[in-house]
Amino acid sequence: MWSFVFRRFLVAVPTLLLISVLIFGVIQLQPGGFLENMLDDPRVSRETVETIRKQYGLDQPVWVQYLDWLGGFVRGDLGYSFLNNRPVSGLVGERLGWTVFLALLTILTTWVVAVPLGIYTALRRHGLGATVANLIGYFGLATPDFLVALLLIFAVLSTGGTNVGGLFSPQYIDAPWSWAKFKDMLAHLWIPLIVIGLDGTASIMRQMRANMLDVLTQDYIRTARSKGLAERVVLWKHAVRNAINPLISIAGLSLPNLISSTIIASIVLNLPTIGPFLYDSLLNKDQYVVMALLMMSAILLMIGNLLADLALAWADPRIRYE
Amino acid sequence: MSSAPAPRLERNSPLHLAWRRFLKNRPGVVSTGVLLLLYLVALFAGFLAPYNLTTQHPDAVYQPPQRVHIFRDGRLVRPFVYRLEKKRDPVTFIASYQEDQTRPTPIRFFVRQGEPYRFLGFRTNLHLFGVDEGYFFPLGTDQFGRDLLSRILVGSQVSLTVGVIGVAISFAIGILLGGISGYFGGWMDTLIQRTTEVLLSIPRLPILMALSTVIPASWPSTYVYLGIIAVLSFIGWAGLARVVRGQVLAAREVDYVTAARAIGAPNLRIILRHITPNLTSYLIVTATLALPGYIIGESALSFLGLGIKEPMASWGLLLKDAQNFQALSLYPWLLTPGILIFISVLAYNFFGDALRDAADVRSVD
Amino acid sequence: MTTRKALWLLSLVTMGALASAQPKVVSGYENGKPGGTLTMALSSAPQTLFYYGAIDSAIQTLANQMFDGLIEYNYKTYQIEPALAASWTITGGSKVYTFKLRKGVKWSDGRDLTADDVVFTYTQIVANPEAKGGDAGNFAGVKIEKVDAGTVRFTLPKPAPAFIHYMRLPIMPKHKLLPFSQEGGKKPGEINNAWPTNVDPAEVVGTGPYRLQSYTAGQKVTLVKNPNYWKRDADGNSLPYLDRLEYLIIPDSQAQVAQFLAGNLGQLNITGTDFPTLKQREVQGAPIRVVAFRALFGSPPHLAFNYDDKNPELAALFRQTEFRRAIQSAINRKRIIDDVYNGLAELPGNGVAPVSEWYYDTTRLLGSYDLAAASAALDKLGLKRGPDGVRLLPSGKPLEFTLTYGSNSSTFSAIATILQNDLKAIGVKANLQGILAANLLSTGRGKDWDAIVLGLGDQPDPELRTPIWKPGGDLYYWHQSTQPATPGGPPQFNNFFPWEKEIYDLWEKAASTTNFTQRKALYDRWQAIFAREAMVIMIAKAYAVGAVSTKYGNYLYSLGVIPGYNPVAIMYQK
Repeated sequence: MWSFVFRRFLVAVPTLLLISVLIFGVIQLQPGGFLENMLDDPRVSRETVETIRKQYGLDQPVWVQYLDWLGGFVRGDLGYSFLNNRPVSGLVGERLGWTVFLALLTILTTWVVAVPLGIYTALRRHGLGATVANLIGYFGLATPDFLVALLLIFAVLSTGGTNVGGLFSPQYIDAPWSWAKFKDMLAHLWIPLIVIGLDGTASIMRQMRANMLDVLTQDYIRTARSKGLAERVVLWKHAVRNAINPLISIAGLSLPNLISSTIIASIVLNLPTIGPFLYDSLLNKDQYVVMALLMMSAILLMIGNLLADLALAWADPRIRYE
Repeated sequence: MSSAPAPRLERNSPLHLAWRRFLKNRPGVVSTGVLLLLYLVALFAGFLAPYNLTTQHPDAVYQPPQRVHIFRDGRLVRPFVYRLEKKRDPVTFIASYQEDQTRPTPIRFFVRQGEPYRFLGFRTNLHLFGVDEGYFFPLGTDQFGRDLLSRILVGSQVSLTVGVIGVAISFAIGILLGGISGYFGGWMDTLIQRTTEVLLSIPRLPILMALSTVIPASWPSTYVYLGIIAVLSFIGWAGLARVVRGQVLAAREVDYVTAARAIGAPNLRIILRHITPNLTSYLIVTATLALPGYIIGESALSFLGLGIKEPMASWGLLLKDAQNFQALSLYPWLLTPGILIFISVLAYNFFGDALRDAADVRSVD
Repeated sequence: MTTRKALWLLSLVTMGALASAQPKVVSGYENGKPGGTLTMALSSAPQTLFYYGAIDSAIQTLANQMFDGLIEYNYKTYQIEPALAASWTITGGSKVYTFKLRKGVKWSDGRDLTADDVVFTYTQIVANPEAKGGDAGNFAGVKIEKVDAGTVRFTLPKPAPAFIHYMRLPIMPKHKLLPFSQEGGKKPGEINNAWPTNVDPAEVVGTGPYRLQSYTAGQKVTLVKNPNYWKRDADGNSLPYLDRLEYLIIPDSQAQVAQFLAGNLGQLNITGTDFPTLKQREVQGAPIRVVAFRALFGSPPHLAFNYDDKNPELAALFRQTEFRRAIQSAINRKRIIDDVYNGLAELPGNGVAPVSEWYYDTTRLLGSYDLAAASAALDKLGLKRGPDGVRLLPSGKPLEFTLTYGSNSSTFSAIATILQNDLKAIGVKANLQGILAANLLSTGRGKDWDAIVLGLGDQPDPELRTPIWKPGGDLYYWHQSTQPATPGGPPQFNNFFPWEKEIYDLWEKAASTTNFTQRKALYDRWQAIFAREAMVIMIAKAYAVGAVSTKYGNYLYSLGVIPGYNPVAIMYQK
C-alpha cells in the first residue's frame, strides 16, 4: 500500500504543475484588476499606477511572473498580496481557523444526519417518517442556498430575533472565550449549518437511500438472510457497508469545498471564512492570493482523493491496487 | 395498449414489466404529468403569455397579482378583472394598488394583440387571453411593470432546457471516460484520472468569473448562457467520471464479468451489456439529482450577476429580484419563480425515483 | 535634578501647554453626553491600516476617525474650515501657502504634533510616487518646508486654486513611520508596508477622535476614544462623546440591512432601493430614523458613447452631438428617479453635484423626455427605420450596439433596463452586456465597448476631477483618441472637437485662476458646454440615504470615505 501512496505522490507533482499553469492562465484572462480600479480615486495618477505595476513586477511577461511565483511556491513562499501589502500566508492563516471549523462541522453534521436518514428512508420506504425526511430533502435540493439563507434571516427578523448572520453577536467577536460567547455562537451556528449543509445532506441521503435499495435486492443479502443471520447483522455488516461504498468517492471530493463552495453562503450570511476573501481577491485580480487559495484547494482535493481510494480499498475487498 | 391481446413474449418483456411497475408508482406518474405539462407550457410560452417578456408598463410597477372575478352584482358573468389605481405613499414611496370597482374589464380569449412572437417559424400575435383596456397581470409585475407570468413562461424555456443540455453533455463524457478509466486501468486510467483531477481541482467560480468577463460583448445572451452551461458541464463530467470509475472498478471483479472476459467477449460488449446495466439505477438517481443542480446553479450565477442577463429571462434571474428584504416583505409574489424551481426539481426527483424502482429487476414490492 | 524639581517643571510645562492649547469649538449642535458605543458596517475588510498604503474604502472610512488633515469641511455647508492647521495665509501670487498648526494637539500616544510630522507626511508619503494611496501627481514641484515647530510652508510652482483641498489629507506620525520611509533609509516602495492589518494596534497613532483598539481579521474593527482629541463642544466638553466605535465587516448589502433591523448596527448608509422597507418600519414605530439628504459626494451614473468605437459607422454617429442629444431626449429621468431611486434622487448636474457651490443650473439643457422629438431628431440624421422597426445605418446595417452596465449593481442594471426599453421605442437597438461592476471602469478605459452606464465620483471642487472632465485626461475615457500618445505627453489636440478645445482651454485657465468668481464663471461655461453637447449623458444624482437608531443624537449623514468630513465625532448616545 505504501508504494501505492508513494506513486500517487509522484504523479501529483506534474498534475499540480498543470493545475497551477491553468489557474494562472485563467487569472490573466480576466480584464481589469486592482490597478485599474485605483484610477477612480482622485489621488491616483497614471504614473503612480505604472510605478506600482513595476514595483510588483506586473510589467513582466506572464511567464516570468509565473516562474517567479513557482520558484517561491516550491520554497514554501506563497507570495505577496498586492491589495493587503502583506505576505499571503499570514492573511490565509488568519482566516483558516473558522473556515476549517465550519467546513468540518458541516461535513460531519451532514454525514451524521444523512447516512442514517438514507438507511431509514430505504427501509421504511412508505412510512410517514420517510416521507417527511424525503420532503425536507427535496426542499434542500430544490432551493438555492442563498434563498434559504435569506428566508431564514427574514424569519428570524420577523420573530424579533437578533441573530441574523455572522457567527457571533458584535460584542463577542473580539471578546475572549467564555461560556456566554460559546452560547452566543451556538445561537448563531444553526443558520449556517442549515444553509451550507442542507444541500449536501439531501443529496447524500438520497444517494444512500438509492444504494441501500440496490444492495438490499442483491443475492448476497438474500443468501445472508437465508443463512439465518440476524437481521441486524445482515443490515449493518452486509447491506450498509456495501451501500456506503460509492459515497466514499464523493467524500473525497468534498474536501476542497472547504475553500470554495461556501463563497455565496458566506457572503449572504457574513461568515468569517475564506470564501469572501477569495471572491474579493478574484475580483481585484490579487493574483498570488488567488493562486495560493486555489492551489490549496487543489492539494486538498488530491489528499481527499487519495484518502477516498484508500478507504475504498479498505471498505471493499474486491478492489485491489497493485 | 393492454386491452389488445399482445403476444405473450412482449407482455412479459423486461421493458413491459418495468412500465407496469412504473405505472403503479403514483408520485412518479403524477410527476411525469407535471413535467410533461411544464415542457408543453414552455413550448407554447409565447402563446400562453399575455405580454412580451420585455414590455415595460411604467404605470404598473410592482403591481400585485390581479384577482379574477366571476360575480358582478351577485350575478355570474364571464371572468373579468377590475382596473387598478396606483398610489404612492408620500412618506415611504411604497406603491399600492386599489381596485377601481367601477371599471370592470372582461378577460377575452384567443386575442390578437401586442407584440408578435415566433412559434415554429410562424410570426403571430395570437395570445390565449388578454384584456381590451387596462392590464391583466395574473401573477403581478416587477420593478419595471413587466408581467411576471409572461416572464416566468418564457423563462421556463431557458430553465427547463439548461438541465437537460447540461446533464446530457456531462453524462456522455463522464460515463464514457469513467467507464474506460475503470475498466481498462493502466495508463488510460492514469491519464483520465489526472485529467479529472485537474478539472476538479479548479473551483468553478473563478473559471466562470473569468469566462464571463472574457466572452465577447457582441455575443447575444443566449450564446453566453449556453457557453456557461457548456463550461459547467465540461467541469461537471469529471466528478461523475470518478464515481463511474469506482463502480466499474468494483463491477469488473464480479464473477459474471470475469467469466465474460474469460470467454473472450469484446470489451465494448462487456462494458455495455454487463457493467452498464449494473450502474443504471445509480446513474438515474445521479441524473435526477444533477438536473435540478443545473437549474439551481444557474440561479446561483444570477445571484453573483454572472448568469443569464437581461433582456432574457430564466427562473434564476427572476428569483434574483426577490432576493432582498424589500421584496420579501412588500412584493412576495416575486418569489413565484422559486416555487416553480421547487416544483420542477421535486417532479424530476419523483420521476427519477419511479424510474429507478421500475428499472430495478429484482425489486420486491 | 531632584524629583520634586522635575515634577514642578513638568506641571509648569503642562500648564503652559494647556494655556496655549487651541481646541476647536464645534457649535450649532445638541450637546451630548459622553459614553456609549456605536456599531457600523464596513463593506469590505481593510486591506491595510495605513491610509496611504492602498486605495481602499475600508481604510479610508477608518482613517477618517483616526486621523485629521490640516483642513476639514464644515458638517453642514461643506466649506473649508481649519482642522490641524489653526490658520493659514496664501501669499506670493497665490503660490505660497503658510499653515500655522493648532497648538496643543497631541498624538494618541501623547506626543506633540509638530511641523515635522506635516513635512514628513507630505514629502515622504503624499509626494512619494510609489505610495499606493499617495497623491504625487498634485505635489510635483511643490516645495514643502518647516518654518518653525508650529509652521509649515508649501511653495507651488504655479498658482493652483484647488490646492487647499489637498490639505485635507490625513497627517501621519513621523515618530512611528520614519522606519518605512526614504528618510529612514528605505526604498520608496517600502512605505506601503507600514501598518499592515496584523500590526500592533498601539503602533497606529493618530490625532483623530478615535484610535485603533483591535482588528479581528475579516470580522470587526474596534476603535476607542482618543482622550487627547482637539475638538470641544459648545459647552467646552471634550469630543467625541462616544467611547467606542465598532465596525462590523459585512460585504452583502442585504446582510447589512438585516443586521441593522436586528439592532446589531446603530447606523447604516443605504441606497434609495432599501428606503421603502426601512421607512415603513420607522412609520410603524420601529426605533429607527431614515433620512435622506441631497448629496455632494457620491457617483452619479452617466451614459457614455464611445467616440472611438471600433465600428467606424458607430463612431461617426456617436461623435455627433445631435445623436447624443436625441438619445438624451429618450431618457426618462423622472421614471428612473421614481422607480429606481424610489424618488430619492434629483436631476443631475454636469460634472458638479447640484448641491455644490460650483453648480451651474443646466436643467434646461438636459432636455425633457420626449420620444417623438427623439425619433424626429434621428429621422433628421437620416437614420430611417427598417422593416422590424430598428433604424438603419447609412450602410444598411441596423443601428445596434452593446450597452455595458454593472450587472451586480441593482441601480445600474435597473437603469440599463429602462434605457434599453426607451431606446427600443425610438428604433435604437441596445444589447445589454452586464459585467461585474468592479470591472466597469477598466472596460470603459479599454476599447471594447459601444455605450456604457458608469458612475464617477463628485468632489467639492471640480479641479479635483480634472482627469475625468478635461479632454485628454486619464479618465476622459469616451474619447480616448484625445489622450496623450505617450504617457505624460501632451493630449492629441488634432483629435479634439472645437467644443473640446474650448473646454480644455477653460480648464487650463481655471487651474491657475484663484479668484472664486472668475473660476466659477469658467466652470459655469464648461458645465453649459458639457450639457449642450451631451458629452456624456448624465442620468440622475442620488440622495444620500442613511438609517440610524433613535438611540443616537446629532446624526449627520456621512459617506465615510471622504477625507476631511467626519461628523461622527459629534454623535452621542441618548
